[in-house]
Amino acid sequence: MKISIDHQEIEVNPGDTILEAARKNGIHIPTLCYHEAYGGQGMCRMCMVEVKNGPATRMVASCTYPIYEAIEVETSTPAIEKIRKNIVALLYRSSPSSEFMEKMYRQYHGGESDELQYSSDFKDRCILCRLCVKACEEIGTSAISAIYRGTDKRISTPFDEASATCIGCAACAQICPAGAIDIFQSDTERIIWNKTFTRVKCERCGEPFATREQLDYIAARTGIEGYEARLCEDCRKKNMAVKIIEASGEGS
Amino acid sequence: MQQTIDLDSRMILVCCGTGCLANGSMEVYQALRQQLSTTEVQVKTYTKTTGCNGWCEKGPLVKIMPDDITYCQVKVKDVSEIIAKTLQTGEIINRLLYRDPKTKKRIKSHHEIEFYKKQHKIALRNIGEIDPASIEDYIERDGYKAMGKILSEMTPTQVIEEVIKSGLRGRGGGGFPTGLKWKACADATASPRYVICNGDEGDPGAFMDRSIMEGDPHTVIEGMIICAYAIGASAGYIYVRDEYSLAVKNLAIAINNARSRGYLGQGILGSALSFDIEIVRGGGAFVCGEETALIASIEGNVGEPRDKYVFPTEKGLWGKPTIINNVETWANIPVIINGGAQEFAAVGTEGSKGTKVFSLVGKVNNTGLVEVPMGTTLREIIYDIGGGIQGGRKFKAVQTGGPSGGCIPDTMLDLQVDFDTLTRAGSMMGSGGLIVMDDRTCMVEIARYYVNFLAGESCGKCTPCREGLKALRETLEAICEGKGKVEHLAFMQDIAETMQTASLCALGRTAANPVLSTLNYFRDEYLAHINEGRCPAGVCRDLTEFYIDAELCTGCGLCSKNCPVDGISGEKKEPHVIDQEKCIRCGECVNQCKFNAIKVR
Repeated sequence: MKISIDHQEIEVNPGDTILEAARKNGIHIPTLCYHEAYGGQGMCRMCMVEVKNGPATRMVASCTYPIYEAIEVETSTPAIEKIRKNIVALLYRSSPSSEFMEKMYRQYHGGESDELQYSSDFKDRCILCRLCVKACEEIGTSAISAIYRGTDKRISTPFDEASATCIGCAACAQICPAGAIDIFQSDTERIIWNKTFTRVKCERCGEPFATREQLDYIAARTGIEGYEARLCEDCRKKNMAVKIIEASGEGS
Repeated sequence: MQQTIDLDSRMILVCCGTGCLANGSMEVYQALRQQLSTTEVQVKTYTKTTGCNGWCEKGPLVKIMPDDITYCQVKVKDVSEIIAKTLQTGEIINRLLYRDPKTKKRIKSHHEIEFYKKQHKIALRNIGEIDPASIEDYIERDGYKAMGKILSEMTPTQVIEEVIKSGLRGRGGGGFPTGLKWKACADATASPRYVICNGDEGDPGAFMDRSIMEGDPHTVIEGMIICAYAIGASAGYIYVRDEYSLAVKNLAIAINNARSRGYLGQGILGSALSFDIEIVRGGGAFVCGEETALIASIEGNVGEPRDKYVFPTEKGLWGKPTIINNVETWANIPVIINGGAQEFAAVGTEGSKGTKVFSLVGKVNNTGLVEVPMGTTLREIIYDIGGGIQGGRKFKAVQTGGPSGGCIPDTMLDLQVDFDTLTRAGSMMGSGGLIVMDDRTCMVEIARYYVNFLAGESCGKCTPCREGLKALRETLEAICEGKGKVEHLAFMQDIAETMQTASLCALGRTAANPVLSTLNYFRDEYLAHINEGRCPAGVCRDLTEFYIDAELCTGCGLCSKNCPVDGISGEKKEPHVIDQEKCIRCGECVNQCKFNAIKVR
């Protein structure tokens, strides 16, 4: 079916969200809580767009709005830009020590930001986009979630204690746009979410590449064990390449 | 029931709504039972407890039928006199009758009292008249007649048509036409389908739904059965907050009684309809009153709303078509089926049919539960039914629609209350809270109070609501502490508008109403805080100084006697003085002074 985004006619599959349709066609809509692997969460509200459906116009979150009708979408009007400016300002207000938010603030408000108060408290950097929670659900073990309500909402493990299920994979920290999840690590240890993990070294190159719990979890989930499972990503590729060369050498 | 007893017998109804219970009505009921069992009385007597009569200000209420006598503020020590005089000899005890403050006359029946005269009871029709634990009482007042009617005479489509024609709009706050909602669900393709009763009433000071669930649980059940028939649902849930223990108890009794009579379960009354209801006890989160959050909570997830671009009528509970209506909406359904859509639509305004239940609280004389036709003015509700402002003080504002409603000023007292007029006035119907405020209320502090409540009760999922409320709260706190700046007003307006347009759910989209409505109607008060450093109502402690006007002070000493910090001194019959060092600005002296001699600087 056909819809229009910013007066450009595009072909979409019914049920696609506006954001997906826009991105497929190279139309930019800003987001903070969206990741293509996890779908729309409807939380940050940066992706608000105006939807005209017949005579009615309304403001919707493009990441959760499914397309079933021939709508007309505008992705940047003065009203939408005002919302985005305010969201960025509000988030920056609550995470003053996040460089990420400072950059965003400059981008949307121009010039230098007002007085900055750097703090080492990760809460002051978190923008509650919950991408970490999504990553933990999909890649990890659902060890963290958004806890409490209202203005007290924050991300943590149950009761703020070292989680029994956390495998220390750090998928949460990797996806975090605001650098709000701290990892403290040495060659042998990793501390994340108040839990200490032993780092396992690659049997080929000797670089630490995973935690013991992470490897156990992968083994239990995929059944992959043995030499290859004890290699880091790089070495696993190299190992694979050697195998392919050997195999093709035999064939020729 | 009163219809079946002869003139030689008396029915004694003791109100055991939450307000009366708190004032000892259960003890009154037990004393009556106990003394009647040991006393020889000429007439046959029946005693029963009822749900909330609404007139909580004057409770515990005891009604004697068929004489139609209403005794107010009855205490255990009055019981023997009631038996000896009223029940034995028919003598009315004047002292226990309501005394009209204007005419000074004692009034025998509650039907003749101003508080009840302008009310029109549809949703509350049975409450105060029946024992909520008795299904027989409900049946005697046409209970389950509508269920019988639809099962024997109407098709599901006819039921939906009737509800559409009645013009009934959802009483939970949204005001969406109930019949159209049912039609959308009936037209959905997936099954099974679910029916949910939203009993997660969480506004401070509201007890409309609570009173219905406590006082007339069967009307909710009957409404849900009718909907189940209309949309083809097989399971229903009543979501009640767990702190409503009496509501949970009475609903559970009612469901069991309905089951044992075959009104719930397989093949209801021999028809093809199979439907049963389960109670889900909520943890008390305000946001769970939002339907998608409520659904998430029933599913065992965190009570957070989702975007409603696909309605629950299509994808609701467990992704299946779901009807979710508020308690009061359900209570209207049997009446619409029994009396017909036309009769129901004859009451109310063009766009809002029927009545609305309000919990009238705050600085009004007759606090309680009232049900009035849509279109009744705020003035009628507050002055005629509510009996005006306590202590003869001046009306300042009425807050409608719960914490995310707006504050309406005195210039709009003649506003005819319905869904649309309230929204146009920058407030909302909400579920029907009406909080009356007098001139001792600071509107900036009120905005701060509600914003603080919402900041704690928002789910915290979307940025505009969570961060917007945080910013508004910090700004309002600064203004109340005397650190306000004029720029703050434009800042709040700007943030509030973003919250209205960009928030995920209705809680967030309305959460700025207390701020926007007070900025609109009471801007002067904000400016007095900011520019003059004073709180005109004498509430914000950092900006208030009380003093005694020596001209007006009679030296009665009432203020100094009630001052909690002994901060007022003076000789008898001489003007008194407030020690500013000691004063904690609690305002108790202002409340006590009969001569308006204590002023705010």
